[in-house]
Amino acid sequence: MMMPFSGRKDGLSVSEALPDRSLFTLVAMMSFLAALTLAGATGARALSARWAGGAAQLVTVQVPDPDQPLTPASKKEPAGPTRAEAVLADLNTLPPGSVMHRLDKEELARLLEPWLGEADNSALPLPAIIRIRLSDNAQVPNDLEQTLTAHVPGTIVEHNASWGERLKALANSLLACAGLALLTVGGIATLVTGLATRAGLSTRRDIIEILHGLGASDGYIAGRFAWRTAMLGLGGSLAGTVLAMVPLLVLFRMAAPFANISLQSDTLLLPDWQTLQNIIPTDMLVAFAALPFVAAFICWITTQSMVRLWLRRLP
Amino acid sequence: MIRLENVSWRRGKKQNTQVLSDLSFSIPQGGFRWLLGPSGAGKSSLLSLLHLETLPTEGRMLLLGKPVSKAEKRAHFVRLRQRIGMVHQDYKLIPGLSVADNVALPLRLQKRPEDEIQDEIHAILKWVGLGERLNAPAASLSGGEQQRTAIARAIIHRPGLILADEPTNALEESQAHRLLDMFAELSDMGTTMVVATHNEALIRRLERPALYLERGRLVQDEGATV
Repeated sequence: MMMPFSGRKDGLSVSEALPDRSLFTLVAMMSFLAALTLAGATGARALSARWAGGAAQLVTVQVPDPDQPLTPASKKEPAGPTRAEAVLADLNTLPPGSVMHRLDKEELARLLEPWLGEADNSALPLPAIIRIRLSDNAQVPNDLEQTLTAHVPGTIVEHNASWGERLKALANSLLACAGLALLTVGGIATLVTGLATRAGLSTRRDIIEILHGLGASDGYIAGRFAWRTAMLGLGGSLAGTVLAMVPLLVLFRMAAPFANISLQSDTLLLPDWQTLQNIIPTDMLVAFAALPFVAAFICWITTQSMVRLWLRRLP
Repeated sequence: MIRLENVSWRRGKKQNTQVLSDLSFSIPQGGFRWLLGPSGAGKSSLLSLLHLETLPTEGRMLLLGKPVSKAEKRAHFVRLRQRIGMVHQDYKLIPGLSVADNVALPLRLQKRPEDEIQDEIHAILKWVGLGERLNAPAASLSGGEQQRTAIARAIIHRPGLILADEPTNALEESQAHRLLDMFAELSDMGTTMVVATHNEALIRRLERPALYLERGRLVQDEGATV
């Protein structure tokens, strides 16, 4: 059995009143921008959480010339502990629950890989890096740096809390900017849909008045236009989101060393699903999947509102 | 039934153009009224008002027994319009649709089953003599064919009220007489009818009470004395 008004049997011809070229393309562009912004927002949120969650409790101690003895050997006494060992011994006075770890050569090389590459760095005079994770709510003694420097000259203490707060504030600002950008993109999508709907209404004014006179409800007329814009929004947004994956994959590939993700070069352009899952955070994938439906909803609700408002001029 | 009590309608953004003034009359269910008067008397405006294309600016109005005022919800007017058949002077067909699809509109808007709609279309178009023009685009029809299509569309859903604005001016005499006989039959079956015309021959053929309008005022209501 045929459905009432399947096809074009009410004369509204919404596919002609709302042609697919302009709205589809503009929504695709908006979704492209939204996907990039979402990626940025997800990154900023992850950084913010990371810096807020653990980095503030981290202390890094650098010991130059770590393998040199603290006191040179003399005829009377053999050489004492190395400078690194001396610092580690001093750090035992930290609050209970603190965990210390001296990076080994491989960890140091991986840490410096983004700057120095994978070349053999054994010839470089690298300092010892000692990472300390303080237990929750534990404070670094105020005189730690003073004590260490006095005992082992040249030792540098970096307490992440001092700049971690600034980085967190920066990440939160980026998050706010991303939110504003998404709101702006949503606003522009609403505006574009509204203009397209208005143009469609003006070309179908006479037919709408006839249908209205024959007893068509506001919901029927608004629904016919709204489903058209929603479908255009869904398709356009899907295209824009898929297109945005290309630069995002390149960006993720570039950022992979910082995120400690190793990728094979042949996965750059056509990564399989498993690799893609590893690169892109799950919440971002969910956001990308939701984007076309959000765009479709924006188009639908905008058109519904505009058509219903327009119909108010008719009793 | 229709009842108007001191109904006026002004148009314009500031409602400063008086079109209809102080109209009071009633038509019982199944009643037939000719709507007569010179050009510009307000016949088409009254039909627009009765078709709910506009609402009265003053007075009380009952249509098909239901109140008509700005206070009513929009769904109320939708339900009322679905019970009214209107034949416009300029037909108001949708040019991109076929004859059959134009005629089917009231039934499709009421979500009737499609097979039932097809049966109704064939019967009504055969009756108005357009059985062979079922699939012709409305834009390709002659004036008389358009008028017959508009008439078919106005009556296909068996409305409780039929309003017709010069429904025979593009019809041949024999077709006009057939239409008039059908209007009389519908009226006898309980459909309320208001038909605006200048055609004296028609009025003589179907002797029914008339409403006379002049300059937007009701100057004679023959129904009031019937």
